[in-house]
Amino acid sequence: MKRTIAYLSLLFILGVLLYIANPNYGLVFGPGGKEWLALRYTDNYYIQHGVQEVGGMNIVTDIVFDYRGYDTIGEATVLFTAIAGAIALLRPWRRDEA
Amino acid sequence: MGLIVKTSARAIIPLIGIFGAYIVMHGHLTPGGGFQGGATIAGAGILFLVAFGLDEMRKHYNKNLYSALEGIGGLAFLGAAMLGMGVAFFYNTLWHNGPFFNGKPGTLLSAGFLPIMNLAVGLKVFTGLVSALTAIALYRRWKS
Repeated sequence: MKRTIAYLSLLFILGVLLYIANPNYGLVFGPGGKEWLALRYTDNYYIQHGVQEVGGMNIVTDIVFDYRGYDTIGEATVLFTAIAGAIALLRPWRRDEA
Repeated sequence: MGLIVKTSARAIIPLIGIFGAYIVMHGHLTPGGGFQGGATIAGAGILFLVAFGLDEMRKHYNKNLYSALEGIGGLAFLGAAMLGMGVAFFYNTLWHNGPFFNGKPGTLLSAGFLPIMNLAVGLKVFTGLVSALTAIALYRRWKS
C-alpha cells in the first residue's frame, strides 16, 4: 500500500517535470538571439567582461575561482570533509590492532 | 602485477603526472583546472598503487605528509582569496595592481590569483584522493 503510493507520487512528479520541460509551456532549450539576451544575460556579461575583469582566457575558471569563489571554497570543503570522513571510518578497529 | 604491467606503469606514470601538472598550470588558459588536473595526477598515484602493490605503496606513502599537504592546499587557497582583503574577499588584487601575475591575458603569468588557486586546489585534490584510495586499499578484512 505504502509502496503503491510512493510509486504513484514518483509518477506524478515525473509528469510535472515533463510538463515543465515542454518548450511550449516552460523551459526554453537552446535560446538564441533576443531570447539569449533576455534569459542568459548573466552568461552574456561573463563572456563579454570576463577577460578584462579577471584576466584568464578560460571563462569557466574565471567564474569558478573569481566571480563565484565562495562556491569553490564550499566545494573544496566538501572534498576535504569527504576524505576526512572516509579515512576516519576506514581506520582499523581497536581490537584488530592487538 | 606482472612484469609487463610494472614496466609499462614505470613508463606511463611520469607521463600522466606531467600531463596533470600541465592541466593544473594552464587552468586559466585552457579547459581544465585544479580539480581536473588533481584528479589526473591522483590517477597516476592509483596506477602506482595498482601496478606495484600495497607493500610498495606503504613504503612510499606517508600519511602525515599527505594530510599536511591537503591542509596546506586549502590554506593556500584561502590565503590567495584573502590577498585583496583591503577591498573585499576574493578581490583579485594581483590582477588589478599586483606585482606579478598581471601579464597580458593569454600568457602563463596572467589572471591574478587564478594560477595560485589552481595549484592549491590541484595539490589538495591529488593528496586527498591518494589518501582516500590508500585508506580503502589498506582496509583488508573481507569478513567482519
